[in-house]
Amino acid sequence: MNRLASAGAALHRQFAGTNSVDEWGMDADTVGLTRFFASLRWHTDVVGAAHVPPRGPALLIANRRSFDTTPVLVATTLGGACGRPVRFAGVPDLAPLGPFLRRSGGVIARPDEIAGLLRAGEVAAVWCTSPLLDPRRVGPAPLPYLEVAVELHVPVVPVAVNAAPLGRRARVETAPPIDTSKARGPLATTELAELVRRTIQRLTDEVNPLARLPFL
Amino acid sequence: MTKGKRVLISGMGSELGSLVATLLEQEPAVGEMVGLDIDPPRRRLRRAHFHRVDPSDRRKIVGIVRDVDPEVVIHLGVWEPDARANPRDAAQWTASAAIGVLGAAATCPSIEHLVVRSGVSIYGRRRGSATRPDESVTPDPMTPFGRTLLQMEQVAERTQRTADVPMTVLRLAPVVGPHVPSPLGRLLRLPAVPVSALADPAFALVDDQDAAAAIVAAAGRRYDGVVNVASPGAVTAIKAARMGGRIPVPLLGPEWAVARFVTGVFGAPIPPHVLELMHRGGTVDAGHAGDAIGVMPSHSTPEVVQALYEWATVVHLRPSEAVA
Repeated sequence: MNRLASAGAALHRQFAGTNSVDEWGMDADTVGLTRFFASLRWHTDVVGAAHVPPRGPALLIANRRSFDTTPVLVATTLGGACGRPVRFAGVPDLAPLGPFLRRSGGVIARPDEIAGLLRAGEVAAVWCTSPLLDPRRVGPAPLPYLEVAVELHVPVVPVAVNAAPLGRRARVETAPPIDTSKARGPLATTELAELVRRTIQRLTDEVNPLARLPFL
Repeated sequence: MTKGKRVLISGMGSELGSLVATLLEQEPAVGEMVGLDIDPPRRRLRRAHFHRVDPSDRRKIVGIVRDVDPEVVIHLGVWEPDARANPRDAAQWTASAAIGVLGAAATCPSIEHLVVRSGVSIYGRRRGSATRPDESVTPDPMTPFGRTLLQMEQVAERTQRTADVPMTVLRLAPVVGPHVPSPLGRLLRLPAVPVSALADPAFALVDDQDAAAAIVAAAGRRYDGVVNVASPGAVTAIKAARMGGRIPVPLLGPEWAVARFVTGVFGAPIPPHVLELMHRGGTVDAGHAGDAIGVMPSHSTPEVVQALYEWATVVHLRPSEAVA
């Protein structure tokens, strides 16, 4: 009944033009709708959502396979668990999918786009993409985005995702945030990238070493 | 600004230029104020001297600027297509005014500071480009108005190099207000508003009073660089239309050609930069304005849209028979 009432209120907001749209195109009602559909698609265990700062900017870095839907999974489950929208990078700049994902909190994958979000105090998520032929191995952390986090002194939060592309069960585990306030220069960024990658690899291996097979 | 500065305002006949002149008239630090435009000012000005001049009449413009020998030049001579002029005249006048006013200003011995009005259409919205560009993003305009702005900024840069003075370039979001001639404002006030069926991206606006306040603040600050000026928040075309109780009409590809023709007939032509805004969005990172010029817009973008739709109620007064 509650769900029906909130859906009715959202519809009314859209009709009256009182819905809120932010400067990246995110619509709070569409975020709610996406979370609802994600809850039908995945049954997710979220561990350590409290590591996402309740206020201020944070850069989440999670593992993902190429071409999968991890960005939506992370944004919906972590966003719901920590009570604030998680903006996910990697939206295609092509209608109609791109504009719909932007409404759900997505942005295109550009360091200046992520920098803008972090300067505005938002939580943004970017990805360590695993090699296609070795999905169990966490790919390198994306240096351009880490450079942005270091420059803006934004905490970096490693996120380990265990979800098979065809399965319903998923687990999203967040490690404690890494402070970047004292990090300086390219060496610090590279070491930070390696630390993030190792943290995510450890968390994914701890859960289930076989979980990254496509049918599990 | 120190006491008694001589200020030259090009584009004083626009709503924005007239507002800026009104605000500067209240500034004790402003001495002589001279304005140029093809149209007369839209407000009563008490101190400013106005010259009505065709923007293509370069000889006359150069003569006026050299006679004034301004210390501060506020160049607002930018004509948005289908706002106060048709697209061809708008491009020609903007280019001529930039060469005439800024070119002459560069040779004035007293020049100390330039303030130039530009627009966010200069960034362009190519596929994969930044959604909310800040001032560090290289302009890559995709529309005729964007290219006109880029050419105008290039003239301004050459002027600055010649004169060797600080120059503040203000890239304004579309300036909208109940009394501002603007193609976007006219479009949004139609009873049925064409919107993109596949994408309804976010865009930001700026209220005319806020834009004028930013220009006046920039004239007093002498910041050297580019500053984006946009109201916080955003709207989409559908949201804006619904806020005004209008009917959004979703359109696909070729239907836009028909819509442009029809809206043109009804007095609200859709120039390419407005079309770009409706399809690709138009927000910018304007967070730098507070540090650079010391003011931020006081109205949010939804408030600007709300004000656009708020028309004063017409009260029909009957002649009173009791009056002797």
